[in-house]
Amino acid sequence: MREWTAFVRAHLSLPQLTPEREARIIREVAAQLEDFYRDAVARGATDAEADAFARAQVGDWTRMARDVAHADRPHIRPRVDRVADHLETLAATHPQPGAFRMLANVLTDIRYGIRQMVKTPGFTIVAVLTLAFGIGASSAIFSVVNGVMLKPLSYPEPERLVRVMEILPQYGRFAVAPANFLDWRARTTVFEHISAFWPGNATYVGSDGPERLICASVSWDTFETLGIRPALGRGFRPEEEVRTRDNVIVISHGMWQKRFGSDPNVVGRALSLNGVPVEVVGVMPPNFYFPTRTAEFWRPLTFDANPTRGGHYLGVVARLKPGVSLDQASGEMKGIAEQLARQYPNTSRDESAETARMHDLIVGPVKPMLWTLLAAVGVVVLIACANVANLLLVRASVREKELAIRAAMGAGRGRLAFQMLIESLVLAIVGGAAGVLLGYLAITPIQTLGAGSIPRVLDVTLDRNVLAFTILVTLATGLLFGVAPAWQASRGGIGTVLKEGGRSSTGARGHRLRGLLLVGEVALSLVLLVGATLLLRSFARLTSVDPGFQPEHVLSFSVALPQTTYPGDQHRTQFFGRLLDTLRAMPGVQAAGMVQTVPIRNDYMLSFTIEGRPFEPGGEPSANYRAISPGYLAALSIPVLRGRQIEPSDDAATAPKVAVVDEAFAKKHFPGEDAIGHGIDIGNGTDGFYTIVGVVGNVHHEGLDATPRATMYAPFAHDLFGTMTMMVKVAGRPEDFAASARHAVREIDASLPAFAITPLKEVVTESVAERRFSMLLLAVFAMVALFLAAVGLYGVVAYAVSQRTQEIGLRMAIGAQREDVLRMVLTDGMKLALVGIVLGVGAALALARYVQSLLFEVTPFDPWSYVATAAVLLAVSALACYVPARRATAVDPLVALRAE
Amino acid sequence: MLILSLVEDRARHGYEIGKLIEARSGGRLTFALPTLYPTLLRLENRGLIKGRWVEKAGERERCFYRLTPEGRRVLAEQRATWKAYIEAVNAVMEPTRA
Repeated sequence: MREWTAFVRAHLSLPQLTPEREARIIREVAAQLEDFYRDAVARGATDAEADAFARAQVGDWTRMARDVAHADRPHIRPRVDRVADHLETLAATHPQPGAFRMLANVLTDIRYGIRQMVKTPGFTIVAVLTLAFGIGASSAIFSVVNGVMLKPLSYPEPERLVRVMEILPQYGRFAVAPANFLDWRARTTVFEHISAFWPGNATYVGSDGPERLICASVSWDTFETLGIRPALGRGFRPEEEVRTRDNVIVISHGMWQKRFGSDPNVVGRALSLNGVPVEVVGVMPPNFYFPTRTAEFWRPLTFDANPTRGGHYLGVVARLKPGVSLDQASGEMKGIAEQLARQYPNTSRDESAETARMHDLIVGPVKPMLWTLLAAVGVVVLIACANVANLLLVRASVREKELAIRAAMGAGRGRLAFQMLIESLVLAIVGGAAGVLLGYLAITPIQTLGAGSIPRVLDVTLDRNVLAFTILVTLATGLLFGVAPAWQASRGGIGTVLKEGGRSSTGARGHRLRGLLLVGEVALSLVLLVGATLLLRSFARLTSVDPGFQPEHVLSFSVALPQTTYPGDQHRTQFFGRLLDTLRAMPGVQAAGMVQTVPIRNDYMLSFTIEGRPFEPGGEPSANYRAISPGYLAALSIPVLRGRQIEPSDDAATAPKVAVVDEAFAKKHFPGEDAIGHGIDIGNGTDGFYTIVGVVGNVHHEGLDATPRATMYAPFAHDLFGTMTMMVKVAGRPEDFAASARHAVREIDASLPAFAITPLKEVVTESVAERRFSMLLLAVFAMVALFLAAVGLYGVVAYAVSQRTQEIGLRMAIGAQREDVLRMVLTDGMKLALVGIVLGVGAALALARYVQSLLFEVTPFDPWSYVATAAVLLAVSALACYVPARRATAVDPLVALRAE
Repeated sequence: MLILSLVEDRARHGYEIGKLIEARSGGRLTFALPTLYPTLLRLENRGLIKGRWVEKAGERERCFYRLTPEGRRVLAEQRATWKAYIEAVNAVMEPTRA
């Protein structure tokens, strides 16, 4: 008779099952085949016939193997083990088995690691959450850094795009005068295209009534400069830069969808802007934005026959010719600008030009803040690592016996360390995955917080770069927090542990290592806390700066009068006069006035001369200028310090010209004498001097963090602007007045929209948005750091208490009081915290100068910030130590001693 | 159900179960080894039967299966369902008595 077991083994292959299970099944199937054989023989068959009969019982062995494996699913072995076995087999036959062995070890270690995680869910949850916070924060901040700073601009070959600015002797970088731009364009040789643009807005009357749309006037080849062609129709032509031929627009993809229902035949359609008919000649592709995301259409920038060289308002963008370097271009543009300055000394004396990469210019201002935030999350990650390393060390000492036994059974020290490291990596990967999720969830809040203050914040996404970064951070953290336990595992002596009867042997050494990690953790969180406190104090200082006016209860909104329907001065004066009268007559309105430029949000500088003081041409002083109506100073509660304010009687074209200046102006130009009574020639016009009739308080026109510049105010009637911003002071909430404001405008002219309706308070808030962004994020990181450090401290002290139960019991048995025990445990924990705090203060002092650029009126060494932070950290540490210390005093001496 | 009822009274080994099904059904029902054996494994994994290796004098060592308490419960349930089903079918099939 044949050996049936061998027969079945040869045919039925079940590698998916555990070896024991496979053996049992083979044994049983063999037994049954043998029964078939014996039965056949008993019925009189020959040996060969019976053998054939038995063998015929299973026709398709492969199918049977599949059915059996399927039926026996509970005994299927993890794939990892099977692969590991396979690798072992390969290793056995391969001349260089090392790599295979190692791979097999990695696989089994991974599985072991996962099993360990599942077995100790409490530990796993704390460790994974800690890592997820650290990694999630870093992935979120990196996604901002990536989207804002690292991602190229969304134009083809963006590295060739540059911005050219004028350098004015008094103000530095400045916008470009149209005449200068035209000369640049004529003379330059380094650019493929050089274009100018000027953001603006226009009234469009659509199906929802009149609306103010944001647009940009651009020189004809701007789309060519940017390298993006219209998706439909055409761009602009050179001849359209002439005022009579500029009635054409190119619309954005968004406007095409929203206002034209994506009509494919939109090119050629006519619409009315500012009451003037224009023709749509092109549609830009989706995701084309220039110069801001909000621009809905573009129209040709036109140049007068005699363009101004003194008025600077154009932005200039250019595309370098291939092979031309930034330095070459800079050099040439500087040369041209200086040539022009010599050629036209009356308007352009000492002017120059600067060329910079477009990307650098957009991103430059937020760079220091983003690097600071990235460094801060780096610190959070380090703290998280230290925390997890500590947890792992605690667990490692619990697992000491297991490791000792494995060592006794022949696992080398290196092998054990390796295993610990792999376990750490498994933990890191799970934490990293959770972190990516957290980071992803954080993107939208960060965008909301950063909108308006951080350029390109809408470009922030979780893309490949961010994922690669996160994976890198994850692996790095895994290695970082795995090193300590691995190192300890490689040093654990077998004999000592087994001899010690279960008590921790590496106690002293492990404790030292844990203490070291903890000191580092406390120090790092102190650094973060100091940084956050410094920013917080700066922010508090900044927001407590008196802007020079009271924005509360003031609603601001703008109205623009089109040239076509309001061509003359008298029409504009009439309209705005009626509007202000209507507003003042409305219930709840306390004061109403208007201005051409909103404070804090925009500057408007003009040069001037003082009566009786000769200035060299081109060397006139300049100051902030506001054209205002009577009531403006009252609406903003800007105090009149001396003399009087602008009265209704001054606000007429025929009235004598008067002006009001602020204190800074009076101090700067009339030191030691009264400014009132002097004459100033605003804008170097030819129509006479304005007599100063009053001095008012300073206003922060350029932002809260800038020293107020000298400002002069003149009546609107002498300097008529087409677009004015109303300021209405109301008794109630300014937001509630918005509808009344719209109504007031509509009542006078139904074709005009009131736009940019904003409570003035919001304008002030917006101006500090970037600082608020960095402060809030840093504060969040500091809180996370503080929390992690507290958890770490608590963990270490609590573990120490649990290890010292017997010792504490003994001390109490020989007469130690509860207070003594409390003091002993507290002292041990607080010693670590104190060392950490001292080191942290040192580190913070060394690093603080890097946040200098983010501070306002607070020095990086502000003692108050350091003392307060150290005190907070000390208090939190005390609490973290107190909880386990209290538990230590609850030790029952009898129970503790019995355990001995 | 067939297998469960065969091991209800006493433990039987796989070959025996196959033979008994064939014999009791008068050869009308046969379970070939490739079908029967996975079924046994499945029943065992579900905890309805339990196999034990027994070596009887002069015979090869074999795995004997017997019903577990859980198997007993399931069998009772299946029997009741089957009986109800047969009765229902019969009630439909039998000519109505006028």
